[in-house]
Amino acid sequence: MTSETKGMPLTLQSSPVRSGRNERLKEFATRQETLLFAVFALMVLVFSLVNPRYFSTAAFGNILQDFGPVMLMAIGQTLVILTGGIDLSVGALLGLSGVSAALAIRATTSSGMDPAMSIGIGIVAALAVGAFVGLVNGLLITRVKLAPFIATLATMGACMGTTLVITGGVQIAGAPKEVVLIGNTRFLEILTTPLVVVLVLLVIAWLSLSRTRFGRRTYAIGSNPFAARVAGINVNRHLMKVYVIAGLLAAVAGLFVYFRLGSGSPASGRGGELQSIAAAVIGGISLVGGVGRVTGTALGALITASVLSGLILIGIEPNAQQIVVGALIAFAVAVQGIGRHNSRA
Amino acid sequence: MSKQPVYEARGISKNYGNVIALDNVDFSVAAGEVVGLVGDNGAGKSTLVKALSGAHKPDAGALYLDGQPVEWNSPHDALERGIETLYQDSSLAPDLSVSANVFLGREEVVPGFWGKLGFLANKSMDARARQELEKVGIAVPSSSRSVAKLSGGQRQAVAIGRAVTWATKVIILDEPTNHLGARQSAEVLHVIKQAREKGLAVIFISHTLPHVLEVTDRIVVMRLGRVAVDAPTSTFTPDSLVKAITGFEVVAS
Repeated sequence: MTSETKGMPLTLQSSPVRSGRNERLKEFATRQETLLFAVFALMVLVFSLVNPRYFSTAAFGNILQDFGPVMLMAIGQTLVILTGGIDLSVGALLGLSGVSAALAIRATTSSGMDPAMSIGIGIVAALAVGAFVGLVNGLLITRVKLAPFIATLATMGACMGTTLVITGGVQIAGAPKEVVLIGNTRFLEILTTPLVVVLVLLVIAWLSLSRTRFGRRTYAIGSNPFAARVAGINVNRHLMKVYVIAGLLAAVAGLFVYFRLGSGSPASGRGGELQSIAAAVIGGISLVGGVGRVTGTALGALITASVLSGLILIGIEPNAQQIVVGALIAFAVAVQGIGRHNSRA
Repeated sequence: MSKQPVYEARGISKNYGNVIALDNVDFSVAAGEVVGLVGDNGAGKSTLVKALSGAHKPDAGALYLDGQPVEWNSPHDALERGIETLYQDSSLAPDLSVSANVFLGREEVVPGFWGKLGFLANKSMDARARQELEKVGIAVPSSSRSVAKLSGGQRQAVAIGRAVTWATKVIILDEPTNHLGARQSAEVLHVIKQAREKGLAVIFISHTLPHVLEVTDRIVVMRLGRVAVDAPTSTFTPDSLVKAITGFEVVAS
């Protein structure tokens, strides 16, 4: 590359500008999103051959119901991983915020409050829990200087423990019927209100990462935190925002599951950290930080959710799911590594 | 030096525990002047650079910008007053484009409502990045290309171009020609000369003495935390410069 540079003025062009149709086609074909979509289509085909029921709008609607919470956690995970961090607390936080909403709603409705009001209080309770845990993650990382891995491992444990303490380890039922209606009434065959919320949040995440100053700085911090700092970016404040957003999104995921089931289960969110990391790395988010798009994560989340429901349909027991998700992560990271070696060669 | 210094350090001292890193150091640079800062490892060059760039606070002494005393609490303070520093370990974010790097920390947003939401004015930033880099002799056909895809020399040129773009008074370049080939170094030296033409004060730290002799107007030699020699470049020969660094006092004037 350097040998092509001819004297002064210094030229950054290292190869002739390529804009032929073949080049564009090649670029499209090798894009992460295109490949992921091909993987997804292949998977649907395989699962459908094994169990024809897999290929139906009803089944796809169910996949989307699994996709919702994974997608929400994965958006937060994407932001965090882009900055070079990792958030292990999202799954446990999903559980804690879900049961917090369930407890608040049960307490307020049993005292005779109007269901709409009560549901509103439940939503606020869950979001407050999410923001608080995100804040604690951010403070542990930026002030106490803990590695994100350790900080969020600690809050993951704390969230799991708190969930068990406040629920006594049992399911919190007693939701007004409106909850299940909101969570499960389908329109356009496959959508529900919570799913629309997920899609809106996905679009907002995509716009902010690709078009705004917030997104630009998120990438910059993951790419070279030193450069970001000396360029005058307040890295700590930005990281605080990112972890609080990840916490809030995990809380929305907790609400999603609560509205779907109509109860708060202390077991929900288990393995959520694994699923969200899988969605992000399958989607091409580099664990080193600074590289990847949330559109990739969305396809990664769709693949993760399809694998989970596909496994059930082809008769693999639910407890084996985590093995598959773990294998997916290892595979995706290995593929990323191969791609990187090729592009740097 | 008849010129009024634009940036000046007087009586700077800094200790790390029992180690005296800087001992009563005076240093100055004028607008349109390139000053070479040389010395062996441990002579105090990087400690002085850290004080000048705002990364460290000196234990004693004072800094003056345009004759006014200044105090830095962070490199950002110095940045805001027109002092740009190019650090030895790259100041670029490799995964970002050339123009995103030029505008890092100074991103421009579109006017109106969307701008309030933080939407970036990428087109105008791309165009301006290209213009500014061209001014210092760096041609950028595609400022949307990511920096990771550039060669080492091109990257360094972008980093210096960025510093020259934003600096209004001083640029501090810490080993900018390190790890570069002969031609790439020549290109970097060319950009430094452009910065001087632009009227900036340039502080050039380097171990590569031929580069220092080629591009500077004055050389400050540091030894054991003190300024050993401070003289116009024309008074040095390659031999006398080496002797000044290693400890044989040969002041050629």
